[in-house]
Amino acid sequence: MKRYNLIVVGAGPAGLCAGIEAAKRGMSVIVFDENEKPGGQLFKQIHKFFGSKEHKAKIRGFKIGEQLLKEAAATGVEVRLNATVTGLYPDKEIMVKHGDGMYHYKGDSIIIATGAAENMVPFENWTLPGVIGAGAAQTLMNLHGIKPGNRILMLGSGNVGLVVSFQLLQAGCEVAALVDAAPRIGGYGVHAAKVARTGVPFYLSHTIIKAEGTDHVTGVIIGEVDDHFKPIPGTEKQFDVDTICIAVGLSPMSQLLKMSGCTMEDNPRRGGEVPVVDEYGETSIPQLFAAGDVSGIEEASSAMIKGKMAGIRAAYELGFCKETETENSLEKCTADLDSLRQGMFAPGNKGKLIEKTEEGIPVSMNLLTKGFVADGEIIHFPGVTSQKGIHPVIECTQNIPCNPCQDACVKHCIKIGSHITSLPVVENPAPCTGCGLCVASCSGQAIFLVNENYEPGFASITMPYEFLPLPEKGDKGKGLGRDGKTVCDAEIIDVKSLPAFDHTNLVTMKVPAEFVMKARFFKAV
Amino acid sequence: MQNRIAEHPILGTPQKGRLVSFSFDGKNMEGYEGEPIAAALKAGGIMIHRYTAKQHKPRGIFCAIGRCTDCVMIVDGKPNIRTCVTPLKEGMEVRTQYGCSAKKDDTL
Amino acid sequence: MNDRLRDIGPFVPGRDDDLLICRCEEVTKGEIRQAVHEGMFTMPEIRRYLRCGMGLCQGQTCARLVKGIIASELHIAPSEVEPASSRGPVRPTEMSTLGNEEEA
Repeated sequence: MKRYNLIVVGAGPAGLCAGIEAAKRGMSVIVFDENEKPGGQLFKQIHKFFGSKEHKAKIRGFKIGEQLLKEAAATGVEVRLNATVTGLYPDKEIMVKHGDGMYHYKGDSIIIATGAAENMVPFENWTLPGVIGAGAAQTLMNLHGIKPGNRILMLGSGNVGLVVSFQLLQAGCEVAALVDAAPRIGGYGVHAAKVARTGVPFYLSHTIIKAEGTDHVTGVIIGEVDDHFKPIPGTEKQFDVDTICIAVGLSPMSQLLKMSGCTMEDNPRRGGEVPVVDEYGETSIPQLFAAGDVSGIEEASSAMIKGKMAGIRAAYELGFCKETETENSLEKCTADLDSLRQGMFAPGNKGKLIEKTEEGIPVSMNLLTKGFVADGEIIHFPGVTSQKGIHPVIECTQNIPCNPCQDACVKHCIKIGSHITSLPVVENPAPCTGCGLCVASCSGQAIFLVNENYEPGFASITMPYEFLPLPEKGDKGKGLGRDGKTVCDAEIIDVKSLPAFDHTNLVTMKVPAEFVMKARFFKAV
Repeated sequence: MQNRIAEHPILGTPQKGRLVSFSFDGKNMEGYEGEPIAAALKAGGIMIHRYTAKQHKPRGIFCAIGRCTDCVMIVDGKPNIRTCVTPLKEGMEVRTQYGCSAKKDDTL
Repeated sequence: MNDRLRDIGPFVPGRDDDLLICRCEEVTKGEIRQAVHEGMFTMPEIRRYLRCGMGLCQGQTCARLVKGIIASELHIAPSEVEPASSRGPVRPTEMSTLGNEEEA
């Protein structure tokens, strides 16, 4: 039996951060993970994260994963992979299955960071090959380089459903539709907008009636639902698809915590059965902690901070660091966590319809019900202005803690301020040089560079473009509106791909001047 | 191999091991050493991994992370192998699993 | 909640009773609903009675759905249904491995 100061179960963002903080303070730390590769969900996330610099905004998920692994190695955290913790027993003893044998370990403290598993929605024929979880689609595309299918229907409009739909498009798949039984989109508006403008239709207040096919999925039938989520007869719509992705939420994988005997609660606001913990993640059993999604479904940025807090607290309780140092570190973590939990998507606002932004602007109902801001609605937002010469147009319409655009502009054209949920304002567009850094830095891909007077009769629009094949200068095609429908002819006049943009290419198209505030995507013909 | 992503706009070209041969229900197939067996099968267009014990219904990849066990197959004679987390090795014999065995029970 | 004398109404067949809920053990919605009306009000009991949650995935996929169905038959919130217990090993383990204790 081997003994460690700290045993961490789960080498995802929460577990690694916990291990790093503990090891920095001198604890002997081992992290077990049942998977072949560490990093949890981080390596599947190919989009740029939100938040502020402290929250690693603008950095793609898998890069954050690589950074964490480097830091773990540098601080002496032992990470054991292919090691499944099969039980958590009294007195903080665990059993681990590794290879063909079982091993016993004892921890002076234990942090459980086992994350969450996907929820399911059963429908007729849901067991047919071709029905997969959204996480499965991510794993196949982003870890193994395989397309999950050719034509896919996505069920679920939370951040997972929206982000994975975009990733499916990036992988070269067609997304036939995005469906959700709820009346409004659950995830960020910008995630929905970048999917909608490519032409993917959104069907809110719809659910899957059945999957078609005998041996595998060949199609799907959806139908509208009423206020009680019951299907309305006569509203069926059929799609030919070979894959159905289910993204309907996550539930904590808290089996080990249940085994330990700590106080548990079934808390729907935190995703299901979770341990009752204090503000640092400590359960009712001293020195047994829970961190990350297993203690409440949030996201990777919060998981990392919760992991840090548990690691620091464990170190303090076992005498590895002094009171003042601990208090300062924990205070900073709490402040960082609080700043993430602000705005429209704060845990306290879950499920509520927020009708006005903090600035008093009516929220776009079209965005919430169809996935895109209507032409008449977009002009009310402070980032959207009409100017002479080239200037940024920021179509950011929800209060989310996020500010990379402010830092990106070296000419200080964009302002958010210290309250990072504020909508970005184009303060002084005159110095804009059209460098495009703001376009590339926006994790929501909501910033466009616009020149209303590019040429007599024509305007130019520079868009973020993360698809292959990349358009080329001179390509002729169509400009698509925010709703994904063709609005005008378009010609590509510039394509910029710089290392500083981190794979967000800047594609500039020329459109007839009257479409400058309408066209937001390009489709080659 | 129709379903492989040749170049990804963010991730570039997938890093793979060497191309190896393996067999699926006696048929020769190819995949990359070290990738999950399920990935190689999917790249080759195979969707059905097994048939269930009670209702004899087809199942395939569902969670892709080794949790749901819908993708299990008989690999080198051993049943209930989770193909989505088991790395492909040259010469592996992969068979459709019927209930718990490789043989379709014709008496049912 | 677990008072077996509670009147939860009769079992009314539903249109989707043959919808598969437990994918591993192939248990249908109708079987679970019927079990509730036969007196199984808790997750541990339903699990032992029908085997849903005892298959290879150990309830990872179906537990939340089963809880919702039990709650619906009992006319209570899902969070009020008595949860299933977790025992080691929490992941399927071969007997030969389980019996092979090694030195860490």
